[in-house]
Amino acid sequence: MPENFQLPETPIEQFTLANGLRVVLSRDPAVPVVSVVVYYDVGSRNEKEGRTGFAHLFEHMMFQGSENVPKAAHFQYIFNAGGTMNGTTSTERTNYFETLPANQLPLALWLESDRMRSLKVTQENLDNQRQAVQEEKRLRYDNQPYINAFLLINELIFKNPANAHSTIGSMEDLDAATIDDIRGFFRVYYAPNNAVLTIVGDFDSNQAKQLVETYFGSIPRQPVPPPVDVSEPPEVHKSQDSYLDKLAPAPAFILGWKIPPRRTPDHYALALAGDLLFAGESSRLYQKLVKGDESVVSIQGEVDDRRGPSALYIFALPKPGEDIPTIREQIFNEIKRLATDGPSDDEMEKLRNTLSNDSVRGRQSTLYRAQRIAEYTLYDGDPHLFDHELDFYLQVTAEQIKAVCTNYLDVANRVMLDVIPATEAESETGAAAAASQTNGAARQPAAPAPQVPAGPTPEPPSASKVETPLGDSSDGTPEAVPLSDPTATVEPGSGPVHP
Amino acid sequence: MNQQDEFRRHAPAPLPSSEIRIPTPYQTVLPNGLTLVIVEDKRLPLVSYRLAFRTGDAHDPAELAGLTDLMAGLLTEGTASRTSLQIAEEVERMGATLHAGAGSDFTTLSASALSVFGNKILELMADVTLRPSFPENEVELTRQNTKESLKQQRAQPSFLANEMVSRVMFGDHPYARISPTPESIDAIKRERLVEFHRSVFIPNNAVFLIVGDVERAAVEQGVSKLFSDWSQRDPIADRFPQPPLRNTRTAYVIDRPGSAQSNIVISNRGVYRTSQDYFPLLLMHTVLGATASSRLFMNLREEKGYTYGAYSNLDTRRTAGTLRATAEVRTPVTGDSLREFFYELERIGNEPVTEKEISDAKSYLTGVFPIRLETQEGMIDQLVQIKMLGLPDDYLELYRAQIQAVTREEIQAVAQKYIRPDEAAIVIVGDGAQVIEQLQPYCTNIELYSTSGKRKEQTAAVAAAAAPLAANLTGIWALEIQTPFGQDIPATLTLEKTDAGFSGKVESAMGQGDLANVSLDGQQFQATLAFAMEGNAIDANISGSLEGTRMEGTITLKNLPELPFSGSRAE
Repeated sequence: MPENFQLPETPIEQFTLANGLRVVLSRDPAVPVVSVVVYYDVGSRNEKEGRTGFAHLFEHMMFQGSENVPKAAHFQYIFNAGGTMNGTTSTERTNYFETLPANQLPLALWLESDRMRSLKVTQENLDNQRQAVQEEKRLRYDNQPYINAFLLINELIFKNPANAHSTIGSMEDLDAATIDDIRGFFRVYYAPNNAVLTIVGDFDSNQAKQLVETYFGSIPRQPVPPPVDVSEPPEVHKSQDSYLDKLAPAPAFILGWKIPPRRTPDHYALALAGDLLFAGESSRLYQKLVKGDESVVSIQGEVDDRRGPSALYIFALPKPGEDIPTIREQIFNEIKRLATDGPSDDEMEKLRNTLSNDSVRGRQSTLYRAQRIAEYTLYDGDPHLFDHELDFYLQVTAEQIKAVCTNYLDVANRVMLDVIPATEAESETGAAAAASQTNGAARQPAAPAPQVPAGPTPEPPSASKVETPLGDSSDGTPEAVPLSDPTATVEPGSGPVHP
Repeated sequence: MNQQDEFRRHAPAPLPSSEIRIPTPYQTVLPNGLTLVIVEDKRLPLVSYRLAFRTGDAHDPAELAGLTDLMAGLLTEGTASRTSLQIAEEVERMGATLHAGAGSDFTTLSASALSVFGNKILELMADVTLRPSFPENEVELTRQNTKESLKQQRAQPSFLANEMVSRVMFGDHPYARISPTPESIDAIKRERLVEFHRSVFIPNNAVFLIVGDVERAAVEQGVSKLFSDWSQRDPIADRFPQPPLRNTRTAYVIDRPGSAQSNIVISNRGVYRTSQDYFPLLLMHTVLGATASSRLFMNLREEKGYTYGAYSNLDTRRTAGTLRATAEVRTPVTGDSLREFFYELERIGNEPVTEKEISDAKSYLTGVFPIRLETQEGMIDQLVQIKMLGLPDDYLELYRAQIQAVTREEIQAVAQKYIRPDEAAIVIVGDGAQVIEQLQPYCTNIELYSTSGKRKEQTAAVAAAAAPLAANLTGIWALEIQTPFGQDIPATLTLEKTDAGFSGKVESAMGQGDLANVSLDGQQFQATLAFAMEGNAIDANISGSLEGTRMEGTITLKNLPELPFSGSRAE
């Protein structure tokens, strides 16, 4: 990092209402817009067996009307005021957010408070949204190659069903959800004392505080929700499996490791080890496999940021005819090399500059700031981590990276999942091999929601890219306004235009 | 609701609004013809650069589809003084980014960095722009990996839909191609890349945009110096054939057996980006399908639950465009979805949009405008498109006024002009056997394709789907044939399905004959009729159609007036 570099300080005002709602304000008058986000401390990790996918289905219901807001009017109010909005569900939390012209702050607070205090649920709306969610599952999972394998990998890594099952859930469980489930879930989890409200942008601080009190102050506190058990044994659930994928045009494989929770020293070091292995074209695995050996078309990786036991994944798409066990061995060798020699000075410099660059670039948008601040407040009780978490990453030493590679990655305690195209399984290996494989059609896989692949090659799963009620532009940025982004304008129709 | 909560009944009024400041970019043209656009933005210690060229995939020779893409991708894979690895390491050691990519109309090289690295990344940009070496091994690796990606993209139903829509809507216009082929990739040789780079990467065809924490004079000087050894050439013109006119509704079904959904795209011809109809179309699109509160979404998802999302798409590129309506629906409601799509497409032309709809759409479009300008990337995206698509320099300033000026009448006029349900292309990627049957009430011209894009005989799928219709026509019909003599002759028409197709015969008091060359098209049939009348063999044609439960048609005999007939099934 350049020595004169200093992360700009973010103004933070923090208070808690009498009903337990945690509120954080961060004023920035540069552009006359305001972002409002509400984070509820409930995600798919809170789901009971037989009700997978429920947190996400419930998120859809939050757009179906409340005492003073008719069904689907939430979209209308926000768009008609010149705003953008969305909501997402992950293993850890459910969030709702909008960015509006600054003078529409009262509208956002009215809408968010009305559904927090008086969500209205009807059987008809539940049935309708159940259908929408099932189409979302078909669109983003069942009709895509590789994606359902990404859900299976978490069932292999994690033993605890709270961690192992997917956020999108199973069709059967979605069918089984009742209106009583919805009402009960609302009472338990959608309470002010189980939520964080963050406002970032152009507002008057006193006025904002007053508005928050007016709209949220009278919503009653509820009993503290039951604790969630996400504990895991150190061992992975199952170290090897294969997945028969009827849509995959070529074989692929996924590797997975169980790693410590976010905000722990080892997790920070593992995240940086991951970057050295698979982030960017100068990364070790890209240079070894895509460039050096020319054995894979693409290699990608991801570190999950969970409050409980977390995961690190690597996805590889080999070239036709390449031997998968050999490629896998090369990946393990690269990990061993990092565990033995540790990172170079150049690599440490790369990590520091990339961390600084990404921290600064992200904070351009009020919505990004509001979302991160809300997360730190909800998970850690400390909104200032938005500025200070960077220090924890920057303090990681080369020795620590070397040590976590030895202790967590260069070990036999990991998962290997082969994705086998169904056509290949039929023509090559015959019935015996096919019988030993996990059948994609018969099995309901689960895991954190993967990102829908944007391009020809799929992307690994991610806890941060999650189910949304409207589509995958999770920042809610609109398309054709006033000029759509270059890819959307220039190459349209490659999918729906999601608001 | 208790008294205290009375204030919650209605949406609160907005607070007083504050003015949006739209920065005025500094613009200059360097002696070699390179246009330079600079916006100083010192909020954060960051800088974003974009070098954009007015040539894109549309300018690829057809047999070398993918040339621009490959050329762009290879810029960062080696220069006269740096290897691919050195470039990647230098960029990433700064925590910076450097990428090149191409779209239909233009090609961009993008870089971003902390401003402290602003000059270093700029120097790298100049190197990869001016001195790429296209190393033979990197060219070959890119070719191989691109061909694998082509296989992967065919597994995406959205790609298959877009490929077919582009092909049928753009015809001979190069926007018809959205992807290279393995053959065209193999045909691209290193010498061609070098030559193509020399002819299209020219300063007088490019705009250099800079947004961020820079000193204008210093960065202008830096760019001038780094890009000074770069000379002008004649740019390639946009000389493209017009997209074809369409005058029938045709469905193009891409058979993807076992598909979990039907991807539906309904398309009409649209406009190029600088068309005077753009703003009325943008408003129409906003009412019809741009957002989750537009008509298509409210109908197909919120009311019917057919889909996760139904939208319209306003595709306006530099030289042509399309209008599209899209949804991914579960297979059994493919037909129902078409019904709702056509209902909405008819309605937007038949009735003016309401006062509330137009004012909501204006409020949406003008309101989200500043959100787009929050980030350097957002601002630079806008400026790139203004420059590359030929929009006026004051476009951002005038944008909101142009939105406000559109009237309901103009919206209806462009809807009538461009939304032409009877001339639409319907593209469906889905399970052919299940889709075609549902499609038939909405379209009689159906073409079936495989996922490789090849035309398929409508064998099993279509025959199976046509069966219910054939069943409606086959059987024995009791007809009255009207003669010129003012008298109706009773006749019996028999239509039968055989292995080879259909056969039939006509029997009447005047004579009888066999049907040959029977063709069925939806609810209609045509055939030749070898008629034996009073010992004479007469060649005739017969055609009929089902009108409800009745059969109506004509028999045409040589040198005689047409003989109309009608009737119903024999009891």
